[in-house]
Amino acid sequence: MSIVLKLWSLYVRGTNRWPVIATIVPFIPVVALWSIAANSGMFPRAFFPAPADVARTFVALTYKGILPDYLQDSLIRLLTGATIGVVLGIPLGLLIGSSKWAHRVCWPVLLFFQAIGDIAWLPILLIWFGFGLTTMTFVIVYTVLFPIVLNTVLGVESVHRDLARAAQSLGASRMRVLWEVTLPGALPNIITGLRNGLGYGWRALIAVEIIVGTSGIGFMMFDARRAGSTVEIILGMIVLGTLWYIVDAWILAPIERATGRRWGLVTS
Amino acid sequence: MKTLSLRNLQKTYFDPYAGSQVTAVHDVSLDVEQGEFVSVVGPSGCGKTTILNMVAGFIPYSGGEILLDGAAVKGPGPDRGVVFQSFALFPWKTVLENVGFGPKMRGVPKADRDRIAREYLELAGLSHAADRYPNELSGGMQQRVGVVRALANNPAVLLMDEPFASVDAQTRMTLQEELTRIWQERKPTVIFITHDVAEAVFLANRVVVLSKGRVLDQIKVDLPRPRVWDHLMQDETFKRLSAQVLQMVRSA
Amino acid sequence: MIASGQRTGSKTPGSGWVWRTMNSLAGAAVFVAPLLALVAIWAIVVPLFEVNPRIFPSVASVADAAADSIRDGSLIRHIGASLLRVGLGTLIGVVTAVPLGIAMGVSPAVSSFLTPLFRFFSVLAGIAWIPIATLWFGYGFGAIVFVIFNAVFFVVAYNTLLGVSTIPMTIRNAAASLGARRWALLTEVLLPGALPNIVTGVRTGLGFAWRGLIAAEMIATNVGLGYMLFVARDFYRTEVIVLGMIVIGLLWLLIDRLLLVPLERATIERWGLVRRT
Ligand SMILES: Nc1ncnc2c1ncn2[C@@H]1O[C@H](COP(=O)(O)OP(=O)(O)OP(=O)(O)O)[C@@H](O)[C@H]1O
Ligand SMILES: [Mg+2]
Repeated sequence: MSIVLKLWSLYVRGTNRWPVIATIVPFIPVVALWSIAANSGMFPRAFFPAPADVARTFVALTYKGILPDYLQDSLIRLLTGATIGVVLGIPLGLLIGSSKWAHRVCWPVLLFFQAIGDIAWLPILLIWFGFGLTTMTFVIVYTVLFPIVLNTVLGVESVHRDLARAAQSLGASRMRVLWEVTLPGALPNIITGLRNGLGYGWRALIAVEIIVGTSGIGFMMFDARRAGSTVEIILGMIVLGTLWYIVDAWILAPIERATGRRWGLVTS
Repeated sequence: MKTLSLRNLQKTYFDPYAGSQVTAVHDVSLDVEQGEFVSVVGPSGCGKTTILNMVAGFIPYSGGEILLDGAAVKGPGPDRGVVFQSFALFPWKTVLENVGFGPKMRGVPKADRDRIAREYLELAGLSHAADRYPNELSGGMQQRVGVVRALANNPAVLLMDEPFASVDAQTRMTLQEELTRIWQERKPTVIFITHDVAEAVFLANRVVVLSKGRVLDQIKVDLPRPRVWDHLMQDETFKRLSAQVLQMVRSA
Repeated sequence: MIASGQRTGSKTPGSGWVWRTMNSLAGAAVFVAPLLALVAIWAIVVPLFEVNPRIFPSVASVADAAADSIRDGSLIRHIGASLLRVGLGTLIGVVTAVPLGIAMGVSPAVSSFLTPLFRFFSVLAGIAWIPIATLWFGYGFGAIVFVIFNAVFFVVAYNTLLGVSTIPMTIRNAAASLGARRWALLTEVLLPGALPNIVTGVRTGLGFAWRGLIAAEMIATNVGLGYMLFVARDFYRTEVIVLGMIVIGLLWLLIDRLLLVPLERATIERWGLVRRT
């Protein structure tokens, strides 16, 4: 008993020192269980490969350069789409949020197009643009755009009216109010929108890569599916999950919290 | 020399829920002298905030006119500084940046506006908090920043709508004393709205009593300055004036 | 306005009700008007520029496609298949995730240990499982329900875990000192305390699931809305594609208005709670 407690205390102190440990250690038992299950012969190996197989494939594919190439393709697509989405989405959100008329006209349209969802656009996009980069980028932009616009609008509306008034009575022009008050006031929401948008965005990217299929992690996974190679599918999932975990937990979420906290906009 | 004058000011709201017009301000005329401190009191809903918002230019008026140094007021502008009950400090700017905001809007270079801001923070005894963010300050400190932020812009009139209503009683008294001190040093023209009759008399040269969207009466306050609570609390004139105003408000 | 004469009248309960109904009708009209305007623009632009029907269909052809597919029952069949999959997957997901999330969240040590694990699987949830799901279950019903199930399961479990583990200890202690034992603590404190997070989880998970559904149906089945869209593409039948997109949009709006928004109203907004992260 006491040895368990000692280990636990070691773990707790360790995680305090290096928080990464808290992220990695919980996966050890999972991988161990997975390994035992795979090696027990309960399932056919082709269906359910062991961690070692996946690791071996990881090394092989990295060595051949396939994995890095595909990963790069996927990331560049996501980044391009997200950038366009942000560049379009924030001004649109500011406009809709600060004008009653723009709000009345655009809000229902926005909700409807958001409801259609990105992936349902694929068939018609394929007719319009064929199997190519335009189609992929369009889908990503579409996915990222809506959460950003909707959250920016919410953010703009959440800015206290007195703040804009204060700026105006201190001599700020309309544009200055937008820049100095509305935008920073909406920022925490905008980042939330970006975080949601990217979360939906990379899922859409996987779907598009599966369907459009020329390169990228999604393509790799589905290509492996056609060949019946579970190892590469699972490798793809692990790469995606790890990558996204890092981006979300170590970059996006802290930024989201930091902006809100320091300014006292979020009390949590 | 009068600087601000309201002539037959009138305001009607449309209430979309009742589907009818509501007249919040019927007919208000008021002249404010340069360097005068005017308190406005009146029962809840008598139109105090509405009047102040019209003078600030936040809402349009339905009739009459508002003249500032002879020119009609239209929309908000830096010639009328506003201190809000909700403080309305920019949470994403430090105290220094908040106070320097007005000069920044005028295009004052960074070094100069920092100097101006520091000077005003000194006036409010807040030099040590210059680099903090508003949510790291107490309510009383936040409202001090609110006051000097408006002052740092050198407005022709300072408009204050129940600025001390959301701080505790102790702090409120300190803030009131500080405000009279600052007023004596700088002699800004002030319109100060409040529920608190004692506060109105303590601060003002003149108290205006409103009732149902009209001016009910006005009282001159000739108490000597500097005014401090320890002293005024016992003062017979102060007590008499306060009682008089209170009576008017309650009969309003 | 004319309404000023009705000022006294509007105080009586009867006409207040009428006024409210009229207000909400007006609200609905204001909401629908921009969408109708969009349809009007569509109706004008397509014939005006003689848009190739293989690029974009006319309003009339979409209406025809709708009528046809309703008449031969195919639209209903596709909608039914899609809704059945989402419904089943979501149901299984929520029913299994909530108890698990609560059980794991009760002990601070266990929950802090497990949080990264569930976070990992919840960032992976949904579409990324399509390849392996189709390999394990074959193309068809099983694979799609599995994709939806895991989209909902991991996200809801993670949010439940988060919700329970961030209920302030003072509240738990207060309940305990008021005499709440295990079961009461669960039903009176832990479950309601985590509910806003659970609802958030359901919304996010369902969002992933819905997209996963459309994607999976394009890839791995022969019935359902995603399939309907994807087959129409093979024949350049843009009117069927656009019809499908409109149906998908309307269905999601209905799910949102009839299920998610009322849920959020009843928990998050009503209690003035904010979800904790
Ligand atoms: N936006 C509005 N729409 C409709 N009626 C309004 C609006 N704002 C104020 N009113 C009405 O105008 C009247 C005056 O309101 P105002 O806020 O000026 O009162 P006040 O004297 O500041 O009250 P308080 O002391 O409570 O702050 C009230 O009857 C109020 O209901
Ligand atoms: Mg008021």
